[in-house]
Amino acid sequence: MSSEIWVVADIKADGQVRKVTFEVLSEARKKLGGPVCAVLLGSGVSEKASELASYGAEKIYVVDNTNLKDFNPDGYVKSLCELIKKHSPAVVLSGNTAFAEDYMPRVASGVGSGLAMDCVDIGMTDDGRLKIKRYSHSSRAISTQEFSGDGSAMIATVRPNSFKEEESAGAGQVVNEDTGVTDADIRIKVLEMKTKESDRPELTEAERVVSGGRGLASEENFNYIYDLADLLGAAAGATRAAVDAGYCPYDMQVGQTGKAVSPVLYVAVAISGSVQHFSGMGSSKVIVSINKDPEAPIFAKSDYGICGDLFQVLPPLTEELKKALSE
Amino acid sequence: MKIVVFITQTQDTEARIKVDSSGNSIDTEGMKWIMNPYDEFAVEEAIKTKEAYGGEVVLITAGPQRASQALLQGLAMGADSAVHVSDEALGETVDSLVISKLVASELGKIEGVDLIFTGMKIIDEESVQVGIQIAEELGIPHLALVSKVINVKPDEKKLVCQKEIDGGSVSVEVPLPALITCPDAMNEPRYASVPNIMKAKRKPMKTVSLDDVDFGSLGIGRDAVGKSGAKIKTVSLEVPEVERKLRIIKGSDETTVKGDEIAESAKELVKLLRDDAKVI
Ligand SMILES: Cc1cc2nc3c(=O)[nH]c(=O)nc-3n(C[C@H](O)[C@H](O)[C@H](O)COP(=O)(O)OP(=O)(O)OC[C@H]3O[C@@H](n4cnc5c(N)ncnc54)[C@H](O)[C@@H]3O)c2cc1C
Ligand SMILES: Cc1cc2nc3c(=O)[nH]c(=O)nc-3n(C[C@H](O)[C@H](O)[C@H](O)COP(=O)(O)OP(=O)(O)OC[C@H]3O[C@@H](n4cnc5c(N)ncnc54)[C@H](O)[C@@H]3O)c2cc1C
Repeated sequence: MSSEIWVVADIKADGQVRKVTFEVLSEARKKLGGPVCAVLLGSGVSEKASELASYGAEKIYVVDNTNLKDFNPDGYVKSLCELIKKHSPAVVLSGNTAFAEDYMPRVASGVGSGLAMDCVDIGMTDDGRLKIKRYSHSSRAISTQEFSGDGSAMIATVRPNSFKEEESAGAGQVVNEDTGVTDADIRIKVLEMKTKESDRPELTEAERVVSGGRGLASEENFNYIYDLADLLGAAAGATRAAVDAGYCPYDMQVGQTGKAVSPVLYVAVAISGSVQHFSGMGSSKVIVSINKDPEAPIFAKSDYGICGDLFQVLPPLTEELKKALSE
Repeated sequence: MKIVVFITQTQDTEARIKVDSSGNSIDTEGMKWIMNPYDEFAVEEAIKTKEAYGGEVVLITAGPQRASQALLQGLAMGADSAVHVSDEALGETVDSLVISKLVASELGKIEGVDLIFTGMKIIDEESVQVGIQIAEELGIPHLALVSKVINVKPDEKKLVCQKEIDGGSVSVEVPLPALITCPDAMNEPRYASVPNIMKAKRKPMKTVSLDDVDFGSLGIGRDAVGKSGAKIKTVSLEVPEVERKLRIIKGSDETTVKGDEIAESAKELVKLLRDDAKVI
């Protein structure tokens, strides 16, 4: 086993490196000892190596292969397994994105490793075993877990927004690798990819989130949520009830099934406060809720709130916020 | 179509939970155990597929004796038979990798499986990995987070699905056999009625003891089942009580703000966010 700590870069649909990659690189450098290296997998991604170096990567293993397009897990699983077997890193980390949830479990199986998903803290024991904290039980419990140190790579994914990204140049030595991924390895055929460009920040990365629930009552009314979000520079989220009703797309769902967010400010509009919704946003620093039911469970789990009809409260609230933000 | 669903029994996380005296797990005394909610979506999808294309649905679980309740529920929903890898040691935290090897090897004994469904995660441990690892054990493709099965083509041995990715969705085609992990967006699980639960008791349920498992062929030792052999150990567990400020502005009648109160409440909230919370 080498002492290398690997951080697998997460690439967005627009080709940019996702912020969580820099957060993990920065935290790994501070907490884990050992040379921090990056792994860059994808199609046409080579040029991103220098960005990874600027966040402290000493080495960057690059696999640039057209068969790694479209976030198709097969090629990523094969590539990362090959690299781990060849170089035996001590630790392999990545951001906990939908894509990481898709392929990392297979990688862990493929190399016989333990895997901890969606960690909110990382560290090392004195004898060099990875130690993490993660939520469980619909995020109502938090456990501290340690790897047994059986010599296999210790693999973990890290929840976005858990750490601060800090630039600090690393040597950035590029190591080009060929993992031999061919057409034959790609069993899943992508017929159509629908990604939408949005000017709003991504939910999992945002410092502020404004979410709407079933009480919004229509797709059109969700503009109340989008307007408030844009005013605050926030991401827009939703409950499952709102998504199910067709008021907004699935990728806005926050919660046990949807995205886990931990922003500084979470504004919940017409949301009742179910266990499953809280599972995805309960760790927000400040929670503000607007609900017309004085008995709504969410009020017992909020810092601030207004008991009122959203259609009456949001217009003056938006005006007051505008004033406060322009001061 | 031969369809397999992997299901599991889980702690009801909506119930009150507290840490036990060991300090590293949840106190299960008096715990209500339920079928993992995501596995209900998986069972429903399997039964719908059977109803559309014919065939049979087999359920597989690894868990202690009480987990047979979850199998019974799945059989009552409409599955045809069940396999229970049963041992009390499976009622404690067991590595996901070990669970996936155990249940995948039971699937290996069933001939001609076309399609496999699992839940996206289990709501107590929330490891989010067993389903996908079963696919790796079997060497077949998997599709995670499928929000819609668009088209099953049994004759061509293919399947078209919509799956969710970061920032959007993709439609994909995959050769069968394949494994699908199910979130809650797929369907409305049917209810297991009491008469159907009675009938389910007569459906075939095979129990496999750990003594019958050929651990050598799985590449793990029997001690891998249990805390001592785990690759990841929980050293402590907390159920934190998050203190919230609870400053909720209500109307004078303790219900909604009305009339002039509305504008005042907006002013007050913004003031609180600026001066008290300091978040704007
Ligand atoms: C396995 C499983 C997974 C799940 N995963 C998720 C998940 O990831 N995310 C998620 O959110 N849910 C999830 N759920 C669903 C969850 O249990 C709740 O059903 C859901 O969160 C409720 O959404 P809601 O608060 O918008 O709707 P409701 O509970 O219907 O609440 C609507 C609220 O709006 C208020 N309201 C109505 N009109 C107005 C108005 N004009 N002004 C002000 N307030 C108003 C009402 O008082 C009410 O409190 C899951 C459930 C299961 C079983
Ligand atoms: C006190 C205690 C009691 C427990 N009791 C049980 C129990 O009764 N039954 C149990 O299964 N686990 C039980 N566990 C959890 C168990 O130790 C493993 O953590 C768990 O089975 C592995 O699941 P996961 O969290 O990795 O699942 P995930 O990876 O989150 O699960 C994803 C999907 O994989 C499939 N799957 C997961 N586990 C199994 C399984 N055992 N059999 C078939 N399919 C599965 C399901 O389709 C599930 O939706 C218990 C844990 C503790 C602490």
